[in-house]
Amino acid sequence: MRSAARLRLPSRIAALRASAHPTGVWAAALALPAFAALLERGVPWAGLLLTIAVAALAWEQVFGLLRRYRPSAEGVVTALAVSILVPADVAPWKLALAVSLGVVLGELVFGGRGFGFVNTPAACLAFLSFSFPDVALAPVGGAIVISTLISGALLIVVGLVSWRVLVAAVLGLVLTLWVSTGAVSPVALSPFAFGVVFLLADPIGAASTRPGRWVYGALGGFLAAMFGVADPVTGGTAIVFATLFANTFAPLIDQAVIEVEVIRRRRKHG
Amino acid sequence: MGPAEEENEGVGEAEFCSTTRVALTARQFPGLRPAFCVEEGTHVSAGDILFTDRRRPAIRFVAPTAGTVQHIEYGPRRTLGALVLDVDPVRDTPPPVAPKENLRETLLTHGLWSSFRTRPFGHIPDPDALPDAIFVLALRRDPAAPDPAAVIAPEAARFAETVSRLTELTKGLVWLCQHEGPALARETGRIRISRSGKRPADTLPAAHMRRHNSVADGGTVWTILYADVLTIGRLLETGQYDPRLVVRIDGPFVARPREFSLLLGADLREIAHVEARPDAGTVRILAGPPGAASEAAWLGPDDQCVTLSAAKPFQRDGGATWLGRQARPRPRPILATNQLDAALPRGLHAVPLMRALAIGDAETAQKLGVLDLLEEDVARLSTCCASGMDYRPLLRGVLDHLEMET
Repeated sequence: MRSAARLRLPSRIAALRASAHPTGVWAAALALPAFAALLERGVPWAGLLLTIAVAALAWEQVFGLLRRYRPSAEGVVTALAVSILVPADVAPWKLALAVSLGVVLGELVFGGRGFGFVNTPAACLAFLSFSFPDVALAPVGGAIVISTLISGALLIVVGLVSWRVLVAAVLGLVLTLWVSTGAVSPVALSPFAFGVVFLLADPIGAASTRPGRWVYGALGGFLAAMFGVADPVTGGTAIVFATLFANTFAPLIDQAVIEVEVIRRRRKHG
Repeated sequence: MGPAEEENEGVGEAEFCSTTRVALTARQFPGLRPAFCVEEGTHVSAGDILFTDRRRPAIRFVAPTAGTVQHIEYGPRRTLGALVLDVDPVRDTPPPVAPKENLRETLLTHGLWSSFRTRPFGHIPDPDALPDAIFVLALRRDPAAPDPAAVIAPEAARFAETVSRLTELTKGLVWLCQHEGPALARETGRIRISRSGKRPADTLPAAHMRRHNSVADGGTVWTILYADVLTIGRLLETGQYDPRLVVRIDGPFVARPREFSLLLGADLREIAHVEARPDAGTVRILAGPPGAASEAAWLGPDDQCVTLSAAKPFQRDGGATWLGRQARPRPRPILATNQLDAALPRGLHAVPLMRALAIGDAETAQKLGVLDLLEEDVARLSTCCASGMDYRPLLRGVLDHLEMET
């Protein structure tokens, strides 16, 4: 009986991995922090989420119509992730504009979710920070951090998030902070916790080779520390820009890994 | 044990199951252009020549058993379509042939040359070619397949002897690729054992090649399946051509899932008819590992599992309308998930390779080591990839392109 039970769990995980729709899993994982945000921030947050979702879904349908695709709702995933880092006092038109730019330039021009090379929520938030420098991204509360950790565990089990990226990012961050300031305060790291799971480790923008994931994660953690993720005011912006930079370098990292592999192979087999 | 005594015993402990028809088909020899030596209605004995390779007449293809040629069919561009034999109801034992001293000559004459496949590209090698190494694949394709060690066990000495004779065909090493456990042949001189690692991808033929003799940057190696080595061994020892394979029949519609031994090219529809549960109705016959199996009517040389599953449900076409327009399903991307990392042998990076295959970028694919791979190695990618693409035809396209260039 015991051995049967032991066998069943991995096979169930394998079945989950095989059957799960990646976007659906991602949305389910985000639903948990989103629920925490609803509890923490209340109705104004729901209004923000609605604004973002309308903007993201509208552009998705426009591009779907042009390309003759069936209607879809993948923009919900972007909306959930963006809403958690957006401050409550931002004007809806600013938000809609930034999300439109981010969704269109981050994924829709490339063919939809998964075809671009940057994380779309990060692109939306970067456009918001660039265009309206007076807007500071929202601090992330304790309930959201705890739910993020649970969701992160789910994403690792399903295989959508690589634990290598997460470990490397945390190592990169802690080492950089420790070298530069001599102290690491865990309280200040809440936007990092959310950002590293849902922005940096998103497989769409991350490196795709195994050694590349380590380098990519470490680079993300290092950049986040350099951009001031430990400071409560700049924390959200730091992880967003660290993600964008790391996303941009991911193909280069993969290419380097491949070159090293080719050299190693040629040396071994001539 | 003589051939006559073995007759009704089958290979190993698996019972022998005969069918009334066997066939040599395009699935076994893709792209082969035959020059037929028989006509419909000709009676042949086991081991009689049926056709040769039109381009290389020294390579012969022989009848797996005695019977009458029922049907000959060409495929596209005069390739082999199918040659179907009506098996004689009484299996008579033809007089044993005397194998020649030279192994190469023997294999060519008796139609066993086609058991070798080259890497890169997966063709039948030229009759006078010398590979850098030969890889004997005693590997199971999936956990449900029969254990090669158990299949080989009753003929262990014959197997080891044949493996040692394969050194006559190469100047390099003969690698016996097997799973963990006792060695299936003695490691001497030019015979080496290569054991698979723990990861599923380590059991792929490409993993062994990658470790010992990668052909990604040039060179050629040959592979041969353990069942073919056993067939060669039987021919050398007894003078009988007797190509039998041990396969497992499984699936939700099988009355009694088990292993049995079948003739190469056996009629799987007939087997399915006998083995399916009475209430099964229409079943789909799949050959190959689960998840990467393809529909098949005749048993191919590298099939280890036959699965009877439900007939494919009727799928509505994507003609749904969206604001009055024809709407297509949205294409799905290749997502660099964690399990794809381990889907290929060490040193081969799955996601960059999949991207290169998906867009037909042969140059990048070659750099990534695609020449080490054949369809069987990338079958697993299709089952782990969110995009739902089948990488086997994509790989073949890239390999064809690279072959034309060289």
